[in-house]
Amino acid sequence: MAASASAISLPVSRREKGEEERQLVRLAQSGEEAAFEELIRRHQQRVFGLVSGILRRREDVEDVVQQVFLKVFVSLKRFDQRAAFSTWLYKISVNECWDYLRKKKVRPLVYEADLSEEQVSRLDGVVSADRPPQSPMDRAEARDLLERMMEKLPQQDRELLILKEVEGFSVQELAEILELNVNTVKVRLFRARARLMEVYRRRLKASPDQPPEARKRKDS
Amino acid sequence: MSMNEEYRTTACSQYEAALEDHLHGDLGGHEATELAEHLKTCSGCRAALDEAVLSARLLRVAEPAADPGPGFGHMVMARIRAELHLHEGKSIWQPFVSLAWRFAATAAIALVILVSFDVGRHSQLQQDKSLLATNRLPELVPDQSSVPTSSDDVLLLMAEPNHGK
Repeated sequence: MAASASAISLPVSRREKGEEERQLVRLAQSGEEAAFEELIRRHQQRVFGLVSGILRRREDVEDVVQQVFLKVFVSLKRFDQRAAFSTWLYKISVNECWDYLRKKKVRPLVYEADLSEEQVSRLDGVVSADRPPQSPMDRAEARDLLERMMEKLPQQDRELLILKEVEGFSVQELAEILELNVNTVKVRLFRARARLMEVYRRRLKASPDQPPEARKRKDS
Repeated sequence: MSMNEEYRTTACSQYEAALEDHLHGDLGGHEATELAEHLKTCSGCRAALDEAVLSARLLRVAEPAADPGPGFGHMVMARIRAELHLHEGKSIWQPFVSLAWRFAATAAIALVILVSFDVGRHSQLQQDKSLLATNRLPELVPDQSSVPTSSDDVLLLMAEPNHGK
């Protein structure tokens, strides 16, 4: 009984939420600034996630997100609400990121130094463990190493993996935002994972297959 | 292998989308059964699925972008107001208005030049007239009062002692 009640209430609340958002959009279209500010509050985190997933440079992200909301405000009167506001907003965000990358001719972050053997073995620990590292320092280091590997991937693969796995966008949402077929997104994601693992395996191959003691002796 | 060329996994291409769904537990019903049957016999798909599981483990160390906080909305609205204020003075007619002002300024300057030229010319004419009046030669233009009107007047004029000297 409880299960059926929740099954009924979920779509209703989702519908109500959608209607509430449409109402907010209508108010914002009529020039009510408080309504637009509420729309910003509701979507700012996901737009931040989306933009930082593409740009990867924290110093650029805030400026681009502000620019996105400015563009949305200016063109809001032309938005006919045929698509969801969030989809429209995310499309503008993606276009703004690509414009930004094109105009600024931003080059990807390049790490000159390759991963050390110690770093590779730590990553190995992350991959083989059931749970992610618990200490903040270990997590931060693993994050840094992952970021270095991600930089070796093509832009599109990197974007898809981050938006899906890190920022929590669904395949359906990614398909709408990137104007791709749902199946195409799935295939690209699956291939991007394989590519990431290939980068990871190359790192492992780069370090000699020796016991840790022998490596230490070699280092000293 | 270059990162930009078309990448192939060890998986069968017709199962890649299903394997991605399977990874997230999104595959159900007939499709799930079909994939399970396929995985029993396809080592390539099994290997690709194992790699995908490991990639998910690698990716879990990454953290999503932090929430910019409640002040962000105010900041964006302030920027929007500033930008709109800036754009208020810059309507689509702005270039035409500035062009019209330039024309008006040029016309005003031309008018001032013409008026001053005309005034100068007028005063020059006046000056010339007065100069002409002061330098007039009396013999060329006889005085009307001294012109004899009859033969007696001529005789009287001739009788004047200093006449003709």
